Amino acid sequence: MYRLLGHAGTTELLMGNEAVARGFLEAGGGFASGYPGTPSTEVIEALADVAKEVGIYVEWSSNEKVAVEAAYGASLLGVRSMATMKHVGLNVAADALMSIAYTGVKGGMLIFVANDPSMWSSQNEQDDRYYGLMSYVPVLTPSDPQDAKDLTVLGMELSEKLSHPFLMVSTTRVSHTRAPVILGPLRPPRTKGTFAKSQGLALVPAVARQQREKLISKWEEIERLFSELESVNAVEGEGRRAIIAGGIAYQYVKEALDEVEVKDVKVLKLSTPVPLPKGLVTKLLSDVDEVLVVEELEPVIENQVKALVTDERLGIRVRGKDLVGLVGELTLSRVRKAVRAFLGLSYQEPQTYELKLDLPQRPPSFCPGCPHRATFYALRRAVNGLRIKAIYSGDIGCYSLGLYPPFGEQDIILEMGGSVGVANGLAQAVEGQVPIAIVGDSTFFHAAVPALINAIYNNAPMLVLVLDNRTTAMTGEQPDPGSGVRATGEPAEVVSIEEIAKGVGVREVVTFDPFDLRGATQKLMEALDYVVKERKPAVAVARKACALEAVRKARRMRVQIPLYQVVDDKCTACGICYNAFSCPAILVKDDKKAWIDPSLCTGCGVCADICPYKAIVKVVKEGKGWDEVWM
Amino acid sequence: MDVSRKLSMVFVGVGGQGLMTAARVLAEAAVDSSTKALVAETHGLSQRGGSIEVHVRLGNVYSPLVPVGEAHVVLGFEMIEAARGVKYLARSGMLLTSETIMRPPLPGVRVPKRAEIESVFKSAGIRYYVVPARAIAEKVGSYMTENMVLLGALAGTGLLEGLVDMYRLRARISELPYADKNLAAFEEGLNTCRSTCGNL
Repeated sequence: MYRLLGHAGTTELLMGNEAVARGFLEAGGGFASGYPGTPSTEVIEALADVAKEVGIYVEWSSNEKVAVEAAYGASLLGVRSMATMKHVGLNVAADALMSIAYTGVKGGMLIFVANDPSMWSSQNEQDDRYYGLMSYVPVLTPSDPQDAKDLTVLGMELSEKLSHPFLMVSTTRVSHTRAPVILGPLRPPRTKGTFAKSQGLALVPAVARQQREKLISKWEEIERLFSELESVNAVEGEGRRAIIAGGIAYQYVKEALDEVEVKDVKVLKLSTPVPLPKGLVTKLLSDVDEVLVVEELEPVIENQVKALVTDERLGIRVRGKDLVGLVGELTLSRVRKAVRAFLGLSYQEPQTYELKLDLPQRPPSFCPGCPHRATFYALRRAVNGLRIKAIYSGDIGCYSLGLYPPFGEQDIILEMGGSVGVANGLAQAVEGQVPIAIVGDSTFFHAAVPALINAIYNNAPMLVLVLDNRTTAMTGEQPDPGSGVRATGEPAEVVSIEEIAKGVGVREVVTFDPFDLRGATQKLMEALDYVVKERKPAVAVARKACALEAVRKARRMRVQIPLYQVVDDKCTACGICYNAFSCPAILVKDDKKAWIDPSLCTGCGVCADICPYKAIVKVVKEGKGWDEVWM
Repeated sequence: MDVSRKLSMVFVGVGGQGLMTAARVLAEAAVDSSTKALVAETHGLSQRGGSIEVHVRLGNVYSPLVPVGEAHVVLGFEMIEAARGVKYLARSGMLLTSETIMRPPLPGVRVPKRAEIESVFKSAGIRYYVVPARAIAEKVGSYMTENMVLLGALAGTGLLEGLVDMYRLRARISELPYADKNLAAFEEGLNTCRSTCGNL
């Protein structure tokens, strides 16, 4: 029995993202697409797990723009659809979003985006609720996993009723919190439909002008509807002061108010920040002296409330980011401070223990056996061997960790596919340095291919190094177009990186196995030499499966994992294996000699090649099929 | 179940040590016992050997995150991370930590020794107990059960009483793969703490 398919009325501990998946099933959703991205990934993962059981279609798309377009296509056939992504993914899909608002939809369509305040796993702290204002697409924001489920159902129904797409914007602390969720009834999905021609879908200027008129009046209708949605925009308490809390902020406000004696305050839990339900908020503010808006990220509600207060001449003070602050995710202490300051109460931080000890940092690092570590090691040897000065144009993925010591081989990291795009400019304008764009397989398919075409078209001399570990590793190993398998487990065509490169006109394409250090270094030198001498782009593909995946596969298939150990007499304590190679499975003993922790070693054997004293040897031989698990 | 009580805990450790599984099992058992439970993980990249915090709150709670200085228990799966996690500990709180120390894979890193860490716990006046989690896990037959030893130690403090039924917790543990080993690890952890933690 799948947890996601529990009976109506029962309570399950669900992560916010799983709750969205459950809501999709309760809404009779039939088509779900997405691109992995923390903290949004688990929605599609959860749906893919049960897709066959409930008969719905679920896919990992090649990028977010395709995911939204595909979900839109299904919606046009009357199928309720959802596209999921992290906050920056919506930048990629924004073009589609802006136009879908103009055409409207047929089957209910939700775009689920998870924002990442504090940037736990992201390059920026962007608030996607602004996209709602910009595109005239209404936004729902859950405060906890129960809301996440309920609002998914509501959003799907409203979307279909109004023939308009809906955005659901969650944040890390909703998406990645597990909490009890009371399940509702599952609804049989509609998964197929036929296309019926209709006016307004082909956005040539004459059509778009008409649709714009309709869009504006639809927006006013949605605002009125939100003002009447008392089930999700509920007011609690009485008083001359009001707090408006959006999304997760509601939970913090509730706990902060539980702790104080002052009770003459009204709280509006606002689940529909865009458009602001003006009728409801005007009523709320008509008999208060002051209002505090608490919301995560940008002042999206606050700015709309300020405009409303001016328009309606309410003449009250609107507090918000001046008390809450703009940077980082909300915490209970931050909200406590803001709420107490608003209520005129003092606040004292709790006392903490001070430890007089310097603790070493522990940033995330390449896993034991990670092929990226070997590739970065080989790349440095190749660059040093040719005595070239490299600019490492990096990208988004596990290999971003190549930024940290001992590698330092990610000089620039911008956004998905940016490695190759930025290298185009570097290549054309640089003097005496060689741009090396470093990109993973999933990111290559996602957004790097057009930049590679540009490099050929405009002849930008660069090495594009594709780290192909056969999966989207950083977000938890979701399959991608190169994996040979789809989200729901069916075998798929393997899209070849080398064939793409050759197809767009790259003349120098090499492939290597990163665990073969000598071969890898040689191939990289060959490709770099070509870039320097021929002044043309080259592509090198480092191919080896993600170690987590390989070890899992070996355990599943009962393939003996080899084990390496350090021969103490031969070890000279030089530190190359634990400092220059930095494998977490290699530990340092008191005498500075190396020791391999058998519980961490994955048997990749690269350290044995690296050791200049041949002090690392295989003590357990690999089983039959070991090479295959790394393919 | 006691509806007005709050229990705030922070599990700290290194990616891949099974913090999430321990937290999930505990929260599921809490929900089975009709107690509200919130579990929030805070870390950057999943499973990549970095520091990890999992916040677990039970009872009359709304905020998924435990504020600094307000945890009733900090449960350390690794000693350096336990020392880092001390910032969450309330002045009346209790620190339980595994004796495991993992070297951060950074060039030239200086790793503090167990005695060094314990001495700063002592001089700060922290109520702490070093659980022989790795030794117990090895005795049970799998180093992967260390997380259940620590969950057992947490249960051994008695702090879960009135919030989580022990038989429901055991039932959830027995749903895990290698249930026998995990349950054995849990019982060992519970016994070692029950005999020691009460006197802290």
